[in-house]
Amino acid sequence: MTNSLEAEIEALATTAVTEVGRYEPIGKIHWPGGAQIAVNFTADFDAMLLRRLANETPSQLAKGEFGGRVGIWRLLELFDGHGIKATIFTPGRICELYPQAVAAAARSGHEIADHMWEHRVPKEPDLEQDHLRKASDAIARLTGRRPCGTRSWHTPALLKAEGFIYNSHGSVRHGPCYSTTADGGDRLVELPFHYAIDDAMFYNFAWLQSEPGEQRLSDPDRVLEMWWAGFRQQHRSGGYFNICLHPFISGRALRIAMLDKLIERMKQLPGVWFGTCADVARHCIAHHPPQRGPS
Amino acid sequence: MPWKNGYTISDEVGLADRDIRWPQARQMAVHIVLNLSVASGPEGITKSDLRSAPAVFALGEGLDLLLAALDRHALKVTVAVPAVTAKAFPSRMRELIAAGHEIAALGLKHEDTSSLPRDEERVRIRMTTDILSQITGAPPKGWYALPRQRDPFAGGTLNSATIDLLLEAGYAWAGNGLADDIPHYWVTDFDSRRSMLALPYYYHFDDQYFAMFPTKGSGLENSDMLARNWQAEFDAQYKRGRFFTMVLHPQHAGWCNRLELLETFLAGMVARPGLWVATGSDIARHWQSTYPPETHLRLEPSIWKDYPGSLS
Repeated sequence: MTNSLEAEIEALATTAVTEVGRYEPIGKIHWPGGAQIAVNFTADFDAMLLRRLANETPSQLAKGEFGGRVGIWRLLELFDGHGIKATIFTPGRICELYPQAVAAAARSGHEIADHMWEHRVPKEPDLEQDHLRKASDAIARLTGRRPCGTRSWHTPALLKAEGFIYNSHGSVRHGPCYSTTADGGDRLVELPFHYAIDDAMFYNFAWLQSEPGEQRLSDPDRVLEMWWAGFRQQHRSGGYFNICLHPFISGRALRIAMLDKLIERMKQLPGVWFGTCADVARHCIAHHPPQRGPS
Repeated sequence: MPWKNGYTISDEVGLADRDIRWPQARQMAVHIVLNLSVASGPEGITKSDLRSAPAVFALGEGLDLLLAALDRHALKVTVAVPAVTAKAFPSRMRELIAAGHEIAALGLKHEDTSSLPRDEERVRIRMTTDILSQITGAPPKGWYALPRQRDPFAGGTLNSATIDLLLEAGYAWAGNGLADDIPHYWVTDFDSRRSMLALPYYYHFDDQYFAMFPTKGSGLENSDMLARNWQAEFDAQYKRGRFFTMVLHPQHAGWCNRLELLETFLAGMVARPGLWVATGSDIARHWQSTYPPETHLRLEPSIWKDYPGSLS
């Protein structure tokens, strides 16, 4: 009894240490031009794919469809109007459903990054590789450029092999850091985002397959103040702010107006750098390379 | 996959702000929907729904209060009515029509028909149409499949099969489309371009998700958030020259503090110049003549390919 408990505690402690050891923090980051904060506006262009994957009702799909026919165009107009280069995490299939919007985003100078082929990562390694390549091919066909970043659960080894340099997928730290596998291999830049700065958590029913009754809706005035407080906290500490939007959610007129106010406020503060995720990842690799040896 | 079936119901790019025209060059259109159902879940109105205080309030004092609030500004609305409700309160229906409001169908008893066999759904649409026609004197032109508080999804239960049956039954428009925030076409067949006009719906402007949601006794009263959502959307859409829509239930929006929020919002709204506050059929008529699907539904050929190991 005691032995098995000891073994269990030992195993849990090892797991905790190994997991923490997978991340290499970057100390104080010197942003380009002496900026005080780097801001990544990111949009997960899922439209209706996740709803389709979960085999949900036509009205759920139509809710997502708003993102493809209306919302994405409004976000592009908002970013372009402010001279902000954003990162659009785009599932490969979306390139086939909304080719005009994806091409327009690339033409405006936004980064088109990977968000899986059909918003899932298959368990079978061959199929996973096939999906990642299909997604990259689809993006390259429309934009002329293969993605170097992803927001996904893809295997790090596969991402490295396919030329990816970053994943924007978790909240292990406030700022960019390096992630590796448990044995220290397959290093990628990690660009964290947090659900607290994610529109879906405030405005959307049935996210992550949860039922409407499990959620509360909010309003843009309230979210504006929360996000503004988050931004100012990071601005004071010389940090990083990654905002996760969804065209079908934030593309609604009331929320575009809210984002416009947020950006206006951000621009009032000194030293705010709006770059793409690829810009931030490349800056980290060039100016703050990993210290833990090659991988 | 033929075209984009199973993924999209309308064309690839929505209409831009600059291309939107309202009658007499008005700045924006407003569509207010009064939902007279007391159904709490997908099965539609039950006896236990009806044997409840909110049900009594909804067709009594609550409706009186909402109508008075609308009347103060001479606002004409669309009333979404389950056939059973019309049958129970025929004189109420005639009052609504006399006051200039439009009656649209909300199913036989506001039930989810999406999993019924086609013939069964057809029968229910016909019964609904017959009952409403008898009471109101004319067949309804609009059909709603609005969500209920206990639904697993918050967008309602329209689908292409229902739209197809509604076209067959002579309906002109469907009331709860989510793919745009202006009227848009719901395509049921790509090859023949068979489609129906859908008027926009969005759950952030539907009182039921902010009034003791998810259920009574929870204390989860967020009517202040509802009012801020209405205001933020109205202001943003006014600037764009587009469309504002809200869904009101007497049992939710009609209750003291919420009623006051509604009255404040409506008073601010009507103070803005250039509004076109219209019923569903007026909006549908304008849209179908200004943007007929033959010229304005732009269905691009699909570049989609099916692959093994991928969803089709």
